[in-house]
Amino acid sequence: MKAMLPRLVFWCINLWIVAYTAVIGISLLLQFVGGELPCPLCMLQRYAMILSTLGAVWIIRQAQRGVLTWDRYVQDLGLATLGAFLGAVFASRQIMLHILPGDQGYGGAVLGLHLYSWAFVTFCVVILFTALLGIMAPAALPEAPDKNSMGDRLSSVIGLAFLAIVAINAVMIVFLEGFNWVLPDNPTGYALFGH
Amino acid sequence: MDIIILFLLFFIALAMWRGAPRWLVLTCWFGTLLLMIGLFRFHVTSSLGLSF
Repeated sequence: MKAMLPRLVFWCINLWIVAYTAVIGISLLLQFVGGELPCPLCMLQRYAMILSTLGAVWIIRQAQRGVLTWDRYVQDLGLATLGAFLGAVFASRQIMLHILPGDQGYGGAVLGLHLYSWAFVTFCVVILFTALLGIMAPAALPEAPDKNSMGDRLSSVIGLAFLAIVAINAVMIVFLEGFNWVLPDNPTGYALFGH
Repeated sequence: MDIIILFLLFFIALAMWRGAPRWLVLTCWFGTLLLMIGLFRFHVTSSLGLSF
């Protein structure tokens, strides 16, 4: 079991990247298909998700290259925790904006909760997860599968999928923000098209 | 500002992927963090009328 732990941690961190790639992908789907344009606080939560996941991506890439050390691992976990904490602050501000009875909230609900409430839950999960990884760090430095093995390729595909979702967001924000310095409080269309 | 933040995030992801120097990644990461805090402060203009 002790020998399996570094490999297990490696795949758990990959799962974290998959989860946030899926969450950001679903929010993009709701935006493009459902027509739910993100407000500035929604976008800030997306950035925090990306900022936090970058810590995980860095751990995986260094493990794949064989250059991951204890101090780098713990530092990268710290980056991820800080990103998730910032995201939780953004999400809680938006929750508080809509907490009064009778307030319908911003945008639609998924399984009874608005997207910012779900975002808050995911940030808390990440903080808990990184805390657990930090506690286990002395016994479980992530270990990547052999170079060019099936596992190595799968892990690279996961990382590339995350990179792709960040790139899609980068292109999308150009259309949404247009030539403005910041997003409007309640966006009604894509500013680049003159809305 | 949002465009700068997202392009910085994409740049950091690419830098990590290609094994760029650690100081460069960390500098950009913390720079982005500060920009996000600044943007949050810009959008949050009033205190909430809540009492706990």
